[in-house]
Amino acid sequence: MTLLLDIVTTAAILFIVSAGLLAIFGVLEIVNFAHGAWLTVGAYCAVVTGGLGLSPWLALPLAFVAGAVLGGVTERLIVRPLYSRPQDAILATWGLGIIIGQLITLGFGRDVQFTENLLSGTIHILGTDYSLYRLFALAAAVAIGLGFALLLEGTRLGLSARAVIMNQSLARALGLDTTRIRFVTFMIGTGLTALAGVLLTPLTSVDPTMGVAWLIGSFMLVMVAGSSFGALAVACLVFGGAQVLVSTFISPILGGITVAVLSALVLRISSKGFARV
Amino acid sequence: MKIPSLIATVTSVMLASSAFAADEPIRIGVPVGLSGANSVVAPSVVQSAELAVEEINAAGGVLGRPLELVIADDASGAAGAQKAFDSLVYQKEVDVLISMETSAARNAGLPVVSRSKVPYIYTSFYEGRSCNPYLFVDAWVPEQQVPPIVDYLNAEGAKTYFLIGSDYSFGRGMLEFARSYVESTGGAVVGEEYLPMDGSDWTAIISKLKASGAEAMITSTAGGAPNVALTKQLRGAGVDLPYANLAVDEGTAKNMGADATGILISASYVTGIDSAENKAFLDAMAAKFGDELRTPNDLSVPQYEAIYLYKAAVEKAGSTDTKAVVDVLDDVSFTGPRGTIQMSKQHHAPLTMYLGQVQEDGSVKVVETFKDVDPGEQCPKL
Amino acid sequence: MSDALAISPSRSNAVRRRAAILGVLALVALALVIFGPMFLSRFSINVLTRSMIYAILAITVDLLWGFTGILTFGQAAFFGVGAYATAMLLTHIGSSPTLISLALVLAILVPVVLGTIVGWLSFYYGSTPIYATVISLVFPIVVTQLIYSGGTLTGSSSGMVGYSGLPFGLEGFFRLSGISLVVVTLGALIFVRSDSGRILTAIRDNETRCAYLGLNTQRIKIMLTAVLAGVAGLAGFLYANASGVVAPENTSFVFGTELVVWTALGGRGTILGPVLGAVGIDYLSASLSGELPFLWQLVVGTLFVVMIIFLPNGLAALVSRLTRRGRGEVVAGAGPELVSEAPRHHVKMVDGPLLSIDKLEKSYGSQKVLADITLDVAPGELVSLVGPNGAGKTTMMRCLTDGKESSGGVIRIAGKNIAGMVPNQIVALGVGRKFQVASVFESLTVAECLRMARASLEAPSFVAASDTLSLPPAAIEILQLTGLDQLLSTEVSLLSHGQKQSLELAMVVALEPRMILLDEPTAGLTKAERTTIGTILKKLTNELGFAAILVEHDLDFVRDISSRIVVLHQGRLVLDGSVDEVVNSDIVKTIYSGGDHV
Repeated sequence: MTLLLDIVTTAAILFIVSAGLLAIFGVLEIVNFAHGAWLTVGAYCAVVTGGLGLSPWLALPLAFVAGAVLGGVTERLIVRPLYSRPQDAILATWGLGIIIGQLITLGFGRDVQFTENLLSGTIHILGTDYSLYRLFALAAAVAIGLGFALLLEGTRLGLSARAVIMNQSLARALGLDTTRIRFVTFMIGTGLTALAGVLLTPLTSVDPTMGVAWLIGSFMLVMVAGSSFGALAVACLVFGGAQVLVSTFISPILGGITVAVLSALVLRISSKGFARV
Repeated sequence: MKIPSLIATVTSVMLASSAFAADEPIRIGVPVGLSGANSVVAPSVVQSAELAVEEINAAGGVLGRPLELVIADDASGAAGAQKAFDSLVYQKEVDVLISMETSAARNAGLPVVSRSKVPYIYTSFYEGRSCNPYLFVDAWVPEQQVPPIVDYLNAEGAKTYFLIGSDYSFGRGMLEFARSYVESTGGAVVGEEYLPMDGSDWTAIISKLKASGAEAMITSTAGGAPNVALTKQLRGAGVDLPYANLAVDEGTAKNMGADATGILISASYVTGIDSAENKAFLDAMAAKFGDELRTPNDLSVPQYEAIYLYKAAVEKAGSTDTKAVVDVLDDVSFTGPRGTIQMSKQHHAPLTMYLGQVQEDGSVKVVETFKDVDPGEQCPKL
Repeated sequence: MSDALAISPSRSNAVRRRAAILGVLALVALALVIFGPMFLSRFSINVLTRSMIYAILAITVDLLWGFTGILTFGQAAFFGVGAYATAMLLTHIGSSPTLISLALVLAILVPVVLGTIVGWLSFYYGSTPIYATVISLVFPIVVTQLIYSGGTLTGSSSGMVGYSGLPFGLEGFFRLSGISLVVVTLGALIFVRSDSGRILTAIRDNETRCAYLGLNTQRIKIMLTAVLAGVAGLAGFLYANASGVVAPENTSFVFGTELVVWTALGGRGTILGPVLGAVGIDYLSASLSGELPFLWQLVVGTLFVVMIIFLPNGLAALVSRLTRRGRGEVVAGAGPELVSEAPRHHVKMVDGPLLSIDKLEKSYGSQKVLADITLDVAPGELVSLVGPNGAGKTTMMRCLTDGKESSGGVIRIAGKNIAGMVPNQIVALGVGRKFQVASVFESLTVAECLRMARASLEAPSFVAASDTLSLPPAAIEILQLTGLDQLLSTEVSLLSHGQKQSLELAMVVALEPRMILLDEPTAGLTKAERTTIGTILKKLTNELGFAAILVEHDLDFVRDISSRIVVLHQGRLVLDGSVDEVVNSDIVKTIYSGGDHV
């Protein structure tokens, strides 16, 4: 039972961490290599909220806004000039990640920061005492997934975004303002990533390089998922599950590289990954 | 090439410099992780070194010559250490290297040390058995740190242990020793698990721990981030076993807040040591650095003492000549915040170890003191 | 002949002059690294020894990324594997001249094997550049993890130290690294200017076109990755010996990204830029970063982003922009000598139809784009495919050149079922395809483009840039008719739209196919250009026995040159007959009066 809970909650955390990246990849077709930096920015929003003596829950909206604003500036100054050079966009966002990390270091120092837990304690469920926060993370992942489904299916922006995902030039020919759609998507993606950073604080340490640990896993999951949130959810469940199983029954060290290696192999065998799901 | 810098080009502390006008300063090279993993503790190490140099210079220097610190960033790793050692030895031409570093950085620097024949005092606790004619260590090794913890837990009634670590030299070295010590004292190890050094998801290991029925756990992760992540996740999962953490320092414990409460730590230095030397040291640090003070710790205090040990060796040898200094480095002793230190056992030092427990306010209370714990056979060939 | 005589002396003079400059530069560089230790401080000797080894790595990154367009963070891992192979062998087995030689072999061989595996994972038909980049990120992470978990075998996080390698002193290693760097740099410079070296740039510019010239670009990229992994491994061997220590961070992707940063700042695609970037920045950081650890990284990071956005070709581009001469202008007359070469008939002739399509079907989901297409084409026929927009003409062309496209039916070319074949395999059967929008290599010269078309027939030199260009007579004729023969050393990006179209046609003909597929070859061309193309096509089919399939909207043009016309409508073949039959048929009139332009 614990194993089952471990699997779904691990998948949920992976989903939360990579959802923002997927939004950007799906619409802009670039991988935001500064993804880790946004997770870190989000987590430091929690540090700031705590430092101001506010409720840790307030960090969630704060991080979303901070992440989105920073994302907007980045899109305008760095990503937009590089649309025609996707490789350079990768490099520029990577460099941006270094810059953000160093700025955080200069501002807050290298030390691990203290953050207040959002939820603590355990709850008795399915015959075992399980971390309340991990279950909350599961709920948060479902909420984010549903939120995106609503956004994509139910709003004008979502409709336009789907059009851009399907066929960029056609969307432009139809008179959609693709520049604006990309801008807004980038902001939503980065805002969401910063939000994920806050959600990570009860699980990991908060320090200037905390985002790096999550980077590769989310890259691979997003590559496998393509541009579909459903596929991302499936990928998180399959590979997160594999990670837990490998960690539990073989070795946690191998578990640490399970997501990356399995995703690479899946993509090699079927270049569309789980995108058809 | 002169470049303005943040941490003054050469952090030279030359009080009363006029008194030494005629004499060349004795240069102490300090390669340290100003960036990278060690950058959290590095500032405290630099501070304690600065205090030692200031005190010694104020009292007339060494053999009438002032001391001068030359600090270089080793980026907490091998590549950075190579640059730092090269720069210190060949460019700044230091007389001695005294530093707290990662094992990778130390190892990367050793070929330079051997080639250039410069004495090197290593001031960081480590997994042990690093041997080189020019290398001396005044911090603890597993043989000194682990027994107090296991003895204490045994006395508390723990029979079965679960070991968790980061997958690197220090993590594995500490837990291997812990396993053999637990087993030699009649206990049993029911699990030993490692996560990659930058891993942050301890879920599977924690589930194994809960299922194992262990009565106590000992962890030895990489300092800082993995340690905090593991502790947060342990507490989140409701684990409240007796918890000995081989890699936590007072500062990190404070940043973990309530999650750290109850953690057992074993160290050769805690701020709460009740001795005149420690009080004088803490007062001097507070006076010198004021608001900028970084809490002295088990890594920064050995740095302070090592500078005094070097001073004693130079005075005894009558020169800074490497051979002369190396010959007497294990004969001299210094009584500092941690008590009397002499690197007399195969270039390592017997140390008094303190078993502490983290209190609710984040402070560390000394539970038990173990006098002059022997480092064991570290370098039988030296 | 007289032409050739007039051109070649000046040309070979230029070649000789460039070779002389390169030789002098190499000698100066060699002198610098051999006598350098006499003038340099021990500190500089030590730091530069490592910087020069890193520069070798930067060259491999430049060849992959700058020239071929493969952004990689993984070169550090091959370097680390080479270094660890050396250190582990010397530590665990012992040190002797034999073992050191063995270490050298392993340090190259193991990375080559790993490079092949990484290449296989990264490059396959349909893989994306971003995917390859992400793999290059995963690979060092896996390697580093393995080293961490290796215990005493790999020294885990502490690395390995205390083994004895090559018995050179400080100066000896400086000279060894320096000489290696000069040799690798020289080799790289010669290679990228050679005829095969230009293939890398062609792949970067237009990989699809490369595949349709019969080049197996995936295999070329895998081989390049493997070879450069070996070079990186060699650098690792040097490093393990010179520094006396190896550590996990030598393999890490962080180091890999540093290599990319040096390459970018120095100037990608220039070889010398990355060398200077690596040596310069690494030396600077050794001198400065100790004093400004975080600020240093901030400065480098900021510089990097600004350069990527505003000066993507790095400092070298800035320099060459100031000194740029010759290139970038239309150069009349210059270039290699054209040599007419008898057709090689590399493809065996077969009896029966060249192309035989049986019940071809193509659907996207439930939507059928092509259905029940059955068609035979014989040598010497010029078949025009007409029909309104959306009739499926271009889709059909795609199905003919990519065996993974069709959803049903059988396509045979020269008797071979092409199901599952990728474009370069189909090209090898004797198919040439000209795209609707001229698909050429923008940053190559006209002559280089044509040479690409020959690369699959005769293996180009790895060393020399040939001063002759052998083409079949038909291709030369196209060049002469269009005046391109006077523009051989002109960069393609400077050509007009029509010239590019003609160049592409010449490239396709240079392939010596037996069947040519052309997608609207006359679109956007002037009347004169159209006539020229028409003449060429007629000649190719009537006199030389090529088969040609032409997608065309211009019915007048079609009428003039076709031997047969096939009409597609809504994904079905509605008519197949002689020019007269089709042009006068009611069906065509109805379809075309439906509003589509004629």
